[in-house]
Amino acid sequence: MIEVNGLKKIYEVKRRQNFFCSEKEKIEAVKDISMKLEKGQIVGLLGINGAGKTTTIKMLTTLIEPTAGTYSFDGIDAIAHPDKVKRQINMIAGGERMIYWKLTAYENLWYYGQLYGIENSLLKKRIEELLKIVGLEEKANLPVETFSKGMKQRLQIARGMINDPKYIFLDEPTIGLDAIVTQELHKEIIRLAKEEEKGILLTSHYLSEVEELCDYIYLVNAGELVFEGTKKNLTDYVFSKNRYVFSVKGMDEAIIIKLRDHLRSIDLESEVMHENGNAVITSKAELSANIAEFAVNESLIINELHKLEPSLEQAVIKLSKNIESKGVDIA
Amino acid sequence: MKYFFKVMLAESWKQHRNYFSNKLIYVSLFLWPFLSFMASYYSYKVFDIEGSVVSYISGGNIMVFLLIGYMGMSFFRSVVQSAWHFSFERQSGTLEYIYLSPASRMAVILGNALSSVFEGSVAMAVFGALIILYNKESLSINVIGLVTVIPIFLCVALLWGAFLNACFLYSRDTDFLFTVLEEPMEIFSGVKVPVSIFPGWARVISCIFPLTYALEALRQVMLNSADISSVKNVVIISLVIILVLLSATLITIHIVEKHMRKTGNVILF
Repeated sequence: MIEVNGLKKIYEVKRRQNFFCSEKEKIEAVKDISMKLEKGQIVGLLGINGAGKTTTIKMLTTLIEPTAGTYSFDGIDAIAHPDKVKRQINMIAGGERMIYWKLTAYENLWYYGQLYGIENSLLKKRIEELLKIVGLEEKANLPVETFSKGMKQRLQIARGMINDPKYIFLDEPTIGLDAIVTQELHKEIIRLAKEEEKGILLTSHYLSEVEELCDYIYLVNAGELVFEGTKKNLTDYVFSKNRYVFSVKGMDEAIIIKLRDHLRSIDLESEVMHENGNAVITSKAELSANIAEFAVNESLIINELHKLEPSLEQAVIKLSKNIESKGVDIA
Repeated sequence: MKYFFKVMLAESWKQHRNYFSNKLIYVSLFLWPFLSFMASYYSYKVFDIEGSVVSYISGGNIMVFLLIGYMGMSFFRSVVQSAWHFSFERQSGTLEYIYLSPASRMAVILGNALSSVFEGSVAMAVFGALIILYNKESLSINVIGLVTVIPIFLCVALLWGAFLNACFLYSRDTDFLFTVLEEPMEIFSGVKVPVSIFPGWARVISCIFPLTYALEALRQVMLNSADISSVKNVVIISLVIILVLLSATLITIHIVEKHMRKTGNVILF
């Protein structure tokens, strides 16, 4: 398990005053982040407004030294023993960089395998397996510069698996990819977590991707953790009221008024709006049964009655608007 | 140790494949030094070389003198270029993955410098063949001296490349080092003109470049039949340079990684 406690990073940057003078300024990119990642789990790290998630990932991958805080991988202190940790982790980033374009797919994997000191016969076997998994076995001996964007990204995944890491950091892994390739990669990420028990930390701007893949979410803003929990926890946290869409045959303003009166007798704060021929109801109380009861009592023929489940995207957008307008308590 | 050499050889192979996949690179590797060599040779033609204050230069062996200079220069230039090439790893994002691995940074850097040995060796072979082909009678070689000096020359070149490589990694703004080091190395190391006839200030600058000592030793053993005792001062200085470069490279690698981890600049490009 990865355990992170009170991770902090302060950068010291120089601000140029004029040609001869510059002034040092301290920027607190990550303020106090604590998190956990278990094997076989896919955890999302989401950020709002320059949140510090890249800095967090770079610290966890030992590329950046934290100013304060601790983190360990299966009990190994990553700050004291970064070399031991490096053997257990790898990172896969989106985009077409980070591989050698003039080398073939096989040569790229061979080179990265050598950096981990993998024994040659094992490395050969692993490269063949990985190329098969990512569907590049037929293209193994072609230079990477002849690959499509999706193929390069698949090679990145194979590269990120070359040392058989226990934990994988995925930094925007599907950026710029088409829907079909993205779907294939999603399947592969789920397979890695569920079948191979890899612990995966994912950052992505595509909230639908996080929604599809992640078991647990950490949401950071301006270097601080503003929420942690499941997707359901987040939507419940942001959208404290239930929303229903209700429509009946012959829906008119009189029915809306009657419905409003009926529901207010149950929940005084409930609201009923008439939108596009439907009644849109918001309430803290669970009202599905009451709405159905109203329709039966009024002898109305129901066309539609369902509860609106807010998406992760709606939750994050609403949360970020709340943060911008008034700030939120740290969860 | 096995892991160290594995990484070094893999790095060397990768750099060779990455930067020398196009055969035209060999043209630039020879053509430019050759044109420069010809320009220098014909510049000398107009002067009376016989009266030179340098004991081992005469009208008969000036061509060999210059060929040795350009042979050494080609070799050193290729290690400087390979060090500079390595800084492109930052732009391509691959440096981040090298630092993500537990591989020895010294092995990676030495591997990169080693990749240039092949290219440098080809250049040396061509210049060496030219020497033998056109002017072998003016050679006066001390074989034991030559066998001693060449490995020292190779070690100095490799470590010079490794040291520069470590310096280039410090930040994305170290490209200026290439300009600062490449041309002045040709001017001040005695490639075209013996360092002994330089004015004092220029001799001070020439001391900075390991190529100066390497060329002096090579010329002494190839043109003056100098034995080990005659070039012992240059050999001792070269050995000291090897130790200094090795220590400086290890220290620089440590400083660079510490700086990168503190500032996060490994991901800046």
